[in-house]
Amino acid sequence: MQDYPPRIATFFTGTDDAPTPDPDTRSPLAFLRWILGQQKALIALSSLCYALWFLPMTLGPWIFGRAVDEGIVGGDEAALLGWAALLLAVVVVGGVFGIVSHTLVVRSWLVALYGALEMVTRKVAQMGHVLPRRSPTGEVLSVASSDSDEFGALTEILARTVGQLVSYLTVAFIVLTMSWQLGLLTLVAAPVLVGAALPLLRPLHRRQQLERSRTSDLTSLATDIVAGLRILRGIGGEQTFGANYARQSQSARRAGVAAGIWQAVVEAVGVLLSGIFLVALVWLGTRQVLDGTLSVGQLITFLGYGLFMVGPIRTFFEFAQKSTRSLVSARKAVAIFDQQPPWRDPAEPVVLDGTAPLHDAASGLTVQPGVLTVVVSAVPEQSAALADRLGRYLPADTEPVPLADDEGAKGRAARRSRAERAAERARIAALDEERVRREWGVTLGGVDLSRARLDDVRRHVLVSDTTSQLFAGTLQDAVDPHARLTREQAEEALRIASAEDVYDALPEGWQGQLDERGRGLSGGQRQRVVLARAIAADAPVLVLVEPTSAVDAHTEARIAARVAEARRGRTTVVTTVSPLWLHHADRVVLLHDGTVVAEGRHADLLSDHEGYRRVVTRELDEEEPAR
Amino acid sequence: MTTDLLATSADTWRDRAADPPAVPPELEPPGRVGLRARNRALWQRHDLRRQRAEAVYDASRNPVRGWPVSGNRAVLAFFADLVRERKRSFVLMVVLNALAAGSALVVPRLLGSLVNRVDTQGAAATGLDALALAVIGVVVLQALFTFGAQRTSTHFGQDLLASAREHVVRTILRLPVGRVEGASTGDLVTRVTRDVGTMARSVQWGVPRLLISLMTVVLSVVAMLLNSLVLAMPALVVFALCTPAVRTYLRRAPKAYITEGATYSRINTTLTETVEGSRTVEALGLSQARVRAGSDDIAVSAQAERYGMTLRNVLFAALNAAFQLPQVVTLVVGAYGYSRGWVDLGQITAALLYVVALAEPLDAVIGEVDRLQVGAASTSRLLGIAEVPPDREPGDRLPDGVELAAEDLRFAYREGHDVLHGVDLRLRTGERLAVVGPSGSGKSTLGRLLSGINRPRTGSARVGGVDLVDLPLEVLRTEVALVTQEHHVFIGSVRDNVVLAREDSPDDAVRQALAAVGGLSWVERLPEGLDTMIGSGRFSLTPAQAQQVALARLIIADPHTLVLDEATSLIDPRTARTLEGSMNSLLEGRTVVAIAHRLHTAHDADRIAVVLDGRIVELGSHDELLDLDGEYADLWHAWTS
Repeated sequence: MQDYPPRIATFFTGTDDAPTPDPDTRSPLAFLRWILGQQKALIALSSLCYALWFLPMTLGPWIFGRAVDEGIVGGDEAALLGWAALLLAVVVVGGVFGIVSHTLVVRSWLVALYGALEMVTRKVAQMGHVLPRRSPTGEVLSVASSDSDEFGALTEILARTVGQLVSYLTVAFIVLTMSWQLGLLTLVAAPVLVGAALPLLRPLHRRQQLERSRTSDLTSLATDIVAGLRILRGIGGEQTFGANYARQSQSARRAGVAAGIWQAVVEAVGVLLSGIFLVALVWLGTRQVLDGTLSVGQLITFLGYGLFMVGPIRTFFEFAQKSTRSLVSARKAVAIFDQQPPWRDPAEPVVLDGTAPLHDAASGLTVQPGVLTVVVSAVPEQSAALADRLGRYLPADTEPVPLADDEGAKGRAARRSRAERAAERARIAALDEERVRREWGVTLGGVDLSRARLDDVRRHVLVSDTTSQLFAGTLQDAVDPHARLTREQAEEALRIASAEDVYDALPEGWQGQLDERGRGLSGGQRQRVVLARAIAADAPVLVLVEPTSAVDAHTEARIAARVAEARRGRTTVVTTVSPLWLHHADRVVLLHDGTVVAEGRHADLLSDHEGYRRVVTRELDEEEPAR
Repeated sequence: MTTDLLATSADTWRDRAADPPAVPPELEPPGRVGLRARNRALWQRHDLRRQRAEAVYDASRNPVRGWPVSGNRAVLAFFADLVRERKRSFVLMVVLNALAAGSALVVPRLLGSLVNRVDTQGAAATGLDALALAVIGVVVLQALFTFGAQRTSTHFGQDLLASAREHVVRTILRLPVGRVEGASTGDLVTRVTRDVGTMARSVQWGVPRLLISLMTVVLSVVAMLLNSLVLAMPALVVFALCTPAVRTYLRRAPKAYITEGATYSRINTTLTETVEGSRTVEALGLSQARVRAGSDDIAVSAQAERYGMTLRNVLFAALNAAFQLPQVVTLVVGAYGYSRGWVDLGQITAALLYVVALAEPLDAVIGEVDRLQVGAASTSRLLGIAEVPPDREPGDRLPDGVELAAEDLRFAYREGHDVLHGVDLRLRTGERLAVVGPSGSGKSTLGRLLSGINRPRTGSARVGGVDLVDLPLEVLRTEVALVTQEHHVFIGSVRDNVVLAREDSPDDAVRQALAAVGGLSWVERLPEGLDTMIGSGRFSLTPAQAQQVALARLIIADPHTLVLDEATSLIDPRTARTLEGSMNSLLEGRTVVAIAHRLHTAHDADRIAVVLDGRIVELGSHDELLDLDGEYADLWHAWTS
């Protein structure tokens, strides 16, 4: 039987784990079936234990009634003690299985929850940079943070529903054998009671939804204030945004009150109806006692069941609600898990040679091996696009398709928009596949990158672009994420990137903790640690996009010199317009409209090429903020 | 000097092959051993997990970094104040809840007497219909009271919550400027999202529900005693027996839940990084490492869950006994009492109904106390924000003139580590001064002191003869502004986003400011002009538009001196060309200190200050410094050669 955390090794097979089966993503329903099917035995067992846990409620009133009849009214002490002992036994069994079923249900809940979390991580790892092109990252994260919990809840409610169903049927049997009229009343009343509250639930849910959306607006307002706090405290605006928050807070309060009042209505109606039912039961019961068709003990039994029956019915409705919710969640999960990376290993992969020249057909750029090439372009996007091509990355030129339904969309409209989104996702996926199957247009040593395995490309060509991110962990983890370096190599990488001040600022040195995404470091510090990491990776071909845009001129000059020195003998491409880099370049290439228009050494181009001079010194003669 | 910085490298470098696993092996269950050994091992693990939970809890109470956390007393005082402000609705809520709970307790009594009459009077029983009607009357009353009680509880809870969260945001908006400028906002974000959410749940539901359940419990006990002393006492004794278990649980559970919460936010953080950095992950081949990091987080979380689960199981064992055994006791005692004529059948029926009905509110009391404790822990983190001492007390002197002068500035972030070593600088009104120097030289710190963000350790930065840090903030902002590379667009109208420094600015001023930076044309094309809502999740601006808004804010503030930190970064290279004009019209007629990364900024300035190791080592015009042939000249030659 499964235990938590479950072992999941699906989608991403880069680790040594033996792969586990992929989830069924043919439809949301199939996915839910797959989740439940994964822990069939566990759910069956917890259903059984639930039924045993409910035993005191199922049998208690009956035993109590018999004890009253025989023991108390009948005055038979032995019978009384017998029934009391039975009641005690039932209570003890119930107590023990309460604990067992709680243990089992926590287990099945967490197996589902952790399993879904693990699958999201592995899907992200498998898809890499392709996933954010297709699905909004926020929604991918919400599948992990909220939808995964719905799957856990589904396993619990399923087991509880089965357990309650067993109880309900048992009670039905008992009451029908005692008095068919009262038995029928008891059995029918419970669904009627819960059903009567149903029409009230719809408006309640609408109001609760409004409250939730107001509250989440409020949260984003607070996050926004904190994100811009430096500006608010530096320049001002505390009153305006404080007042905006207060206004939103009041509107969330009103929505909350509206929902609360409906909740009060629902509860009051519940109290009224179940009270009336109880009275009706007792009143009818007393009549039957007077007739002599029912004993007093049996009346007490009915009273007990009257209180109990609402429980199972509530559970059944909860089951309906939660399974709808998990279906919505399953729809989002399937939209992610169903995606496949576009890459296919070529039938006969060619092994790349990192010491060969790199050629990009689209721009006409040829990068000579073993030297530092600086690519200059007046339009930074064009050099970024070039870097993407050199590294075989799909450009971020798509609009990610939302996973969740629009708020308020219902019925046919929702289904149509869902179908449209699925089609759009499929279109992007088909486009991606088409794009990667073709010749890529970049060759390393004459071999088109599409003819090598993707991980071979990644090993040979490292592109560190402006979105490069640091991860939470120690400084040592940040510079040496693979734990492959010696201390001297890591120190050297920090020195080359001129990032020793980051080390110095952390009292724990290499073990100093960096916050997530390197928050807490200045932009310049972050950029230099990223650079140190890229240098330390020691790739045969290194492509750096604007590596020092947030670094001051002093430091930039130092970095340029050190990188040029350290990378000597290996292929390095840097895109920048800073003269401090150009100064150290072995070759400089000028891009115009995305194609190479000039190449040579910096000094020569500066004196000979008008266009080059304009791009590199543009800032000197055109942008004169300080004059 | 560079080698100095890495002096401790050998001591702090670690061989990670020997790193312990995320979950220590002692927390893994033993293999095949006997039942007794297994049982012992289970409790040992439980104890170990308790220690881990306590460590997490302690860390959350005494954060190493980030903002302070206040004590439990402050939380109590805070809520006591809020309740005191709503005395009337609080009393109304208590009364209505008492009425609802009370009327609910009358019903079993009446049902009991119904049974009694049948039992004692047999076929001759009379008045059954009247009694049944009476019960229905009570039920109707109960429903009405329930509605009223719930309604006032909602009003009360929501009102309390709104006040509490608005208080928190007001506190945040008053945080000392110096602290805000220096600290990471990550911790604050967690507090305004997760902690406010936790507090909301406990204030909104916890407080009213605890009250209702407590009242029901108390009144039920009273009703039981009124019904029959003989039947009530044994049942109550059994209930009381579970108190020690409940107390242990209540002491430990909040720590367990806070730990669980922390592990889930850890899982989320790691996954967020993996998703948002998916390209980096792919480029560096870190997929495997990220998958492992995710699994480790889950393994740690599973341990926290196991601890919580065992705590609950122990509690359930006690509660199951406490809630179910009284039925057996009531039965046995009732039978004995009946045979002696102490109690009648109606009392036994009522007692049974009470005993069964008491389980729910008792359970709720435990649950709500639990929830409230978790909420209190979050609230203490929220109130902690207010404990940051203010960093300035505005004096009443106003500056006489606009000249900014710094004398003997020294400043340290860590005690004993001065970053500035006595800087003197007198700005000439209307000049452009560029500050250049390597990172860590102290040039950004100089910028902060010159704009009154931080108080110098020694010396003074004065405008018109008054210390910048002694000026009221609203005056300071119209004298000097520090412009950083941040250009956050707030959720709000365009107007809200521009008027920051002078919040009562008329629309004409806003339009003029936008026009000055070249942003008026697109704003007027917006669907609702100045009223259009912008910011995250609303109408989204292009980077150039966002920067125009940021510049328009400064035009409104209209300070005579601007300190531009990394100012070239403020203008994104992609938008630089379109924004040159906007920037120029902002700088026009002002004194500008530009902390420059790009040498062209320095080249164009009237004077250049070269900062090295916390001192101004060169100061003069571009040509003067070239003649000096020092640090700046070297750099310039590197740049232009």
